[in-house]
Amino acid sequence: MRNKQTAAAGEEENEINLTPMLDVVFIMLIFFIVTATFIKEPGVDVDRPDALTAEQQFDAAILIAISGSDEIWIDRKQVDSRSVRDAIERLHLENPRGGIVIQADENSTHEQLVVVMEAAKQAGVSNVAIASTND
Amino acid sequence: MRKHLPQIGVDEEENEINLTPMLDVVFIMLIFFIVTASFVKEIGLDVNRPDAPTTEVKPEDANILVTIDANDDVFINRRLVDPRAVRANIERLHAENPQGSVVIQASKRSTNKMLVTVMDASRQAGVYSISIADNER
Repeated sequence: MRNKQTAAAGEEENEINLTPMLDVVFIMLIFFIVTATFIKEPGVDVDRPDALTAEQQFDAAILIAISGSDEIWIDRKQVDSRSVRDAIERLHLENPRGGIVIQADENSTHEQLVVVMEAAKQAGVSNVAIASTND
Repeated sequence: MRKHLPQIGVDEEENEINLTPMLDVVFIMLIFFIVTASFVKEIGLDVNRPDAPTTEVKPEDANILVTIDANDDVFINRRLVDPRAVRANIERLHAENPQGSVVIQASKRSTNKMLVTVMDASRQAGVYSISIADNER
């Protein structure tokens, strides 16, 4: 009888205390929510030019691609050169801290790059970089 | 009264909230955010844009002016320079005038490959303040 009782008590205490795990899970959840920066990908592949001194761009939030045939792509849509500024302003509102990385194809012309840089300047984004590879 | 007391006791025992469904939701949210966390590694060159208007009207001799024409030829001081020799040329001019920054004036028809090549050469030469002149031409 006595044995049975202690066994019953042991079983009752066998329930795992979930509270510490819950704490950890919540903290991880909050971390991932806070660090989730939804980067806008342009959606086209470009041949980036080589540069030995390229550095990692940590605060990139908007990626703008200029394809080899001089089309500007933002957020998986092709954008007319006149509406680049509006598109940047709209995306910049969603994540005001982030900068812009321009993925310019090797064969794209300087004209389109200037269009994008000018639009970024007018939209109030000061942090602009040109993507490259470094190998 | 008597009838209520034992009922309250039962209620209290059952008052422990069942955390399992909340745990399920939290785990699913956690997995969602881990999966969608896109750690995009984008490498590139910073474009230094002079914000203050005064920096743009510096006397021309204070800067190293690199011109790229429509045929992707690079000119420094109106002399045609091989793309591989840009770095050496900028290094020499930078030594003569350590305060000067590099100003790249590129033709609309020039390719961005040459622009990045010149920017990279300038950074290799130790000149990190590069501005791109975006005027006519």
